[in-house]
Amino acid sequence: MSGVALPRLCCEWLHGCSGCEVALLNGGDLFLGLLEQVDIVHFPLLMDHKCPDGPEGNPSLPRAEIGLVSGGVASKAQLEVLRTMRDRCRILVAFGTCASHGGIPALRNQWTTEQALSTVFHGDDCEYSSESESKGWLDRIYAIDEWVEVDLLLPGCPPRPETIVEVVAALAAGQQPQLTEKSVCEHCPTVRTGSGRMTVRRFLANADYEPEEPMDSMRCLFEQGLLCMGPVTVGGCGGREMPLCIRARVPCRGCYGPVRRQGNQLLDLLNILASKGIDHRAIVDRISLLRFSGAHGLLKPNIQG
Amino acid sequence: MNREPVIIAFCCNWCSYAAADLAGISRLQYPGSIRIIRVMCTGMVHPELVLKALNKGAAGVIIVGCHLGECHYIKGSEMALARAEIIADTLEDLGIAAERFQLVWVSSSEPERLVAAFREMSERLGIGRALGVKTPEAGQ
Ligand code: SF4
Ligand code: SF4
Ligand code: SF4
Ligand code: FES
Repeated sequence: MSGVALPRLCCEWLHGCSGCEVALLNGGDLFLGLLEQVDIVHFPLLMDHKCPDGPEGNPSLPRAEIGLVSGGVASKAQLEVLRTMRDRCRILVAFGTCASHGGIPALRNQWTTEQALSTVFHGDDCEYSSESESKGWLDRIYAIDEWVEVDLLLPGCPPRPETIVEVVAALAAGQQPQLTEKSVCEHCPTVRTGSGRMTVRRFLANADYEPEEPMDSMRCLFEQGLLCMGPVTVGGCGGREMPLCIRARVPCRGCYGPVRRQGNQLLDLLNILASKGIDHRAIVDRISLLRFSGAHGLLKPNIQG
Repeated sequence: MNREPVIIAFCCNWCSYAAADLAGISRLQYPGSIRIIRVMCTGMVHPELVLKALNKGAAGVIIVGCHLGECHYIKGSEMALARAEIIADTLEDLGIAAERFQLVWVSSSEPERLVAAFREMSERLGIGRALGVKTPEAGQ
């Protein structure tokens, strides 16, 4: 190794599933290449290194130029880790959809924390319930930018391995990473005619297509009456190629989060239906359109319950 | 926080805003809680604007547009009507009282109708009877 210090990379995970970290590892050779561009100082999935307590009982983390945080914030302890990350890292990246928009865990924002805990850990003999208070759960799941300033959102559940590596490499080189701001539809090759079925089919219904024909002869799934979330979801999942789910001929479920920053995927999609005169009441469980972006106060407990 | 409760009224330029003008000229009184925002057409009011206003503490939101079939842009009020349904359903999903949102049609020659709608909404929300009434979920 030469004497020139590499930019340091520090990763932490909060209320996520570790899928984002695994996606980074899934970069394979690209990931190995990255090891020559950054010096990983802390990475719970990779290294036997926990986030230790500092002198005042706060979490202590090494300094780094680049910080990746995956997962949203559900507890006070996670919030402390997040604040420490912000404090120790020069550039802080929201790594994945959970960190950026709440992700799947934020689906539980439709209930109060108490309701969620008592539903999952019910019964008197469950030790967990007594512990829950000391764990310091927050009232809901938050995206990390609701608590600290975030320099870059890198959404995706999980983000594409290639994209993660590109982003970290760009930051390490002092460049601004280039992420698309266009919707999934803009990357989708299907045939659009501007008019389509006026009813919504069940999400699980199969699309109509000829298996031997190429993708660009398949009719847009939305126009086929499937609730494709492409129009309201930010693209990038397919890299320079077509979106991943569309490739598998199933509708986009919205995993990259809203295409407009602070957009509301549920309202935006219903709005499209309303503008086209399609009856949105045919949607079973419409609230699940926020399945990836329930933080930022978008999903709330229905007080009338 | 004890702000005066506010009702946001989105009025389209061609009918309801003209009606509000006429109400002013005819010296018709309407509650001071109403804040009119002029839009070109109710068809351009994205549901998110309504939610945002409510989330930021507005007591209510009322959208006022041209009667169906009389919209200056032909289909705007129909779109507003379709959107009103998704707004109502979303409010229900979020547990926000349905009475905090309303859609009304008013032509440019019906200032009384506009004023009546404003009054009715503000009474329904309990504003104006006593001063300093709290907005539902104020400060949220
Ligand atoms: S964004 Fe997806 S993959 Fe990443 S932590 Fe959240 S749930 Fe897991
Ligand atoms: S709605 Fe879905 S299928 Fe249609 S263009 Fe967009 S991403 Fe493709
Ligand atoms: S098509 Fe949609 S749901 Fe599928 S991977 Fe891409 S963004 Fe995620
Ligand atoms: S112009 Fe009045 S509703 Fe369209």
